[in-house]
Amino acid sequence: MDRGWYLRFTVVAVAVVLAWLALWPSLDTWVPAPDWVKTTFAGRISPGLDIKGGLRLMYEVEVERAIEDRRDRLAEQLLRRLGERLGILEEGEGDTASDSQLREIREKVRVHSVGEQRIRVTFMQASDAAKMDRDWLEEWFSDVRITEVSGDEKTVNLTIREDRLQDLRDTAVEQAVKTISNRIDELQIRETTVIGRDEDIIVEIPGADDAMFDYIRGIITRTASLDFKVVDDAADFVANIPTSELPEGVTKDSETVSAGESVGQVVSEYLVARGENARQVLTDYVATLEPPEDRELLLGSIQDDEGEGGDEAWRTYFLHRIAGVTGANVSDAFVGFDPQDQQKPIVMLQFDSDGAAAFERLTGQHVKERMAIVLDDRVESAPVINERIGGGRAQITLGSYQGYDQLLDEANELVIVLKAGALPAPISPANEQLIGPTLGRDSVEKGAEGALVGILLVLVFMLFYYQVAGVVADVMVIFNVLFLFAILGAVEATLTLPGVAGIALTVGMAVDANVLITERIREELRLGKSPRSAVDQGFRRAFWSIFDAQLTTFIAGVVLFQYGTGPIKGFAVTLMIGIATSLFTGVFCSKVFLDWIVRGLRVDRLRVG
Amino acid sequence: MEFVKPGTYVDFMRHRRPVILVSLLLVGASIGSVFYPGPKYGIDFAGGTELQLQFGGDITGGEIRQALEGLGYERPDVVAVEDTPNEFIVRVQEVSAIDDARKAQAEEAVRAALGDVEIRQMEFSPGGDKVTFTFSAAADPEALGGALEGAGLGVRSVSQFGKAEDNRYEAFLIGVADEIVQKLDEQLGERGPDAPRRAEWVGPKAGAQLRDAAIKAMLYAIAFIMVYVAFRFDLRFAPGGVLALLHDAILTVGVYVLVQKEVNLTTVAALLTIVGYSINDTIVVFDRIRENMGRLRDKSLTELINISTSQMLSRTIVTSGTTLLSVSAFFIWGTAVIQDIAFALFIGILVGTYSSIYIAAPTTEWMDRRFFSKNKR
Repeated sequence: MDRGWYLRFTVVAVAVVLAWLALWPSLDTWVPAPDWVKTTFAGRISPGLDIKGGLRLMYEVEVERAIEDRRDRLAEQLLRRLGERLGILEEGEGDTASDSQLREIREKVRVHSVGEQRIRVTFMQASDAAKMDRDWLEEWFSDVRITEVSGDEKTVNLTIREDRLQDLRDTAVEQAVKTISNRIDELQIRETTVIGRDEDIIVEIPGADDAMFDYIRGIITRTASLDFKVVDDAADFVANIPTSELPEGVTKDSETVSAGESVGQVVSEYLVARGENARQVLTDYVATLEPPEDRELLLGSIQDDEGEGGDEAWRTYFLHRIAGVTGANVSDAFVGFDPQDQQKPIVMLQFDSDGAAAFERLTGQHVKERMAIVLDDRVESAPVINERIGGGRAQITLGSYQGYDQLLDEANELVIVLKAGALPAPISPANEQLIGPTLGRDSVEKGAEGALVGILLVLVFMLFYYQVAGVVADVMVIFNVLFLFAILGAVEATLTLPGVAGIALTVGMAVDANVLITERIREELRLGKSPRSAVDQGFRRAFWSIFDAQLTTFIAGVVLFQYGTGPIKGFAVTLMIGIATSLFTGVFCSKVFLDWIVRGLRVDRLRVG
Repeated sequence: MEFVKPGTYVDFMRHRRPVILVSLLLVGASIGSVFYPGPKYGIDFAGGTELQLQFGGDITGGEIRQALEGLGYERPDVVAVEDTPNEFIVRVQEVSAIDDARKAQAEEAVRAALGDVEIRQMEFSPGGDKVTFTFSAAADPEALGGALEGAGLGVRSVSQFGKAEDNRYEAFLIGVADEIVQKLDEQLGERGPDAPRRAEWVGPKAGAQLRDAAIKAMLYAIAFIMVYVAFRFDLRFAPGGVLALLHDAILTVGVYVLVQKEVNLTTVAALLTIVGYSINDTIVVFDRIRENMGRLRDKSLTELINISTSQMLSRTIVTSGTTLLSVSAFFIWGTAVIQDIAFALFIGILVGTYSSIYIAAPTTEWMDRRFFSKNKR
């Protein structure tokens, strides 16, 4: 036995020991593992929903919110189109109308949302009202119909058509299912099922890890509506609230900020609440205020520079109600770091072409004003726009004061939800249940029996057919399964029925590799070669066909992983790992063993059947 | 032990024309079968009816599945709810189908029953177990129920929902869910289920999105494999490998459709496995042909294919034989879903082995004759 052999033998031995150690914690029930093994090799294979079961979450989609959303957007579009119709704007100028133009339109016509699905349009002059006739509405706003016209013909009530409402409800659920699926894909949790049912969404997550469940719940329920809204610092809405009317816990404060190129620096007042429940107190109070229809007050948390955690503080921002750009225009998102403070994770956004144009227009119109970045109705930050921003890039500095790790987690979560898209409407949890394996416990047990019998049959056959070489082949098949499970555990893969199919395929390929080699050795022996040279030649000649065959299949695995979703990815992972291990056992480990037989034991005749 | 005597020479290529013709016919039939009768999509792709049932006595998921299969519901999902004993979620792919004529009849009956009140919207749920209405004014639920029953629909309950001013009503119809509960009760007696906690149509687990992703991924995989084979072997080999792969995938789908087995997520996994097996087998055969090409320069490619496949006959029999053996174990021991996978794999391995010899190799020979031999002669 030469030095090279001992080296190769050591590699095999180390691999086997490592694989055993990695698998030991999973076999703890039968063979108790020492603690150091459990802590060092923490990765486990987690059985999927079909094999082990998991948590079943049910959510209700608040479809009415999607309808209200649609109604508001219709109202806004209606105002702009009426501006064109009444000659205040040029044709096609509606989408880019400036603030002063919109004000001019509002002097002639008011558009209000009433109830859940109605829009009230009030004209100053009946002659203008006549311009909003049925034909025009049919052409531009086929989603609504006129339900009521006031006696003076100045006020017209519009209602969203019932069939459109049903469409909206259906698509809201459909869209929510898609969004949640996308988010789960981004999370890389394979084998999570998302099903739509009427106005519900059912999500089934494999496993039994409570911390994981919490994390996933957070990601699923996040609406993730992102809006860029301009801050109206020049307005005196808050300043006009008498201090005496403020409830307990709410105070006024002021800041000197830039409010636009023409206005310059102004002192802007805002409301503040501190301490426990600050957010609730402030939210409740703000709900009682009545800002102008195109403005709104939203909350943001105050960053204490002293960094005293625990003391919650919230403030208001006075914003333009209509968002200039929204998360729907985000084409990509990733985590970056603040150029000024490398320790501070931020989220970088890339807009699509529409979003980029809108963002450039918005920033151009509001230079030297502040722009609030609003996430799920909460102002994350409100930086001053220094200049028109082209190129469709933006960044979000995360608002609240947190440690580095929390900020990074928050940034990662935000990236996931922004990439996967916003939910069309909020969803609320309705029910949670732990469920058993979806295949049924009996199927899983019988399947495992079948797998065991199948492998045993193959092992016994190889033993009889190839004798000594069969023993080696059998050991290799067992090694292959051992290595495969060890690696699957180390990467914390989820094992499902499709995954098992992938494993079966690689076991089949491992057998094939051994068959190819043994058949070659037989051929060489028939030519009258010595066992030693037959083994060498057999491996040399079989190697490339094994290598080519497995590499080609591996390529297929890579492609499936790249372009597949959900279960296809799971299959691809087990396939790729399985090919790696079957190549290792098939052409490397088995050579070590056969070399030992023909060189170490120096057999005169190699019994290969 | 030897299955094949050394030095055996089988003239595989002699019969290639009739064999390939049969293959072509089978591929044609398989493609045709996708249009008619068409694949039977299972609950994973098509959705179905879901019930949550509380059973009266101790029962296992296996028993319920057997009972349901005995009642003619194919491949039901029976999932235990862990927190409560004897509570199960049952999913079957059957839905209560209501045809358009019946729907129109129902709408007419409702309109007649309501008088002045206008129907703003009326919709049947995809599972045929619910009707939702929006009216222009309040309606009497009982009159509504009566009208639907008059049109021949079984009505369980009618109620108003949503905001009062919206005048929205829903009627729950007697459908698959009630039928299942009733039949299970008959069969299981005291242990039978109570009225379903919830019974509703559920959407598919994996929609067209996943199916399209799978098809796209397979096409990309085929393209990459073609490039790799062209690079590692040569251009003559690439089309054969790809054709063999397509042949195997198409035939397996065809057999699946023809025996009307349900196409579920596991079927997709099986199909991917077959593609993997098919590539592996084809490349091994190619490799031997390439090797013999270098050694036996005076032989024609047809002879080389015969020599190579004959030399490999023993290996081919052993490899596909052992794989079929282990798949058979799955088929014998497994339950429904696992048997489906085993069935697909069995077919796939058979055609995968065959196609390496009769599709991949002859295509290579044809490519050689058609495009490459001119320079040689």
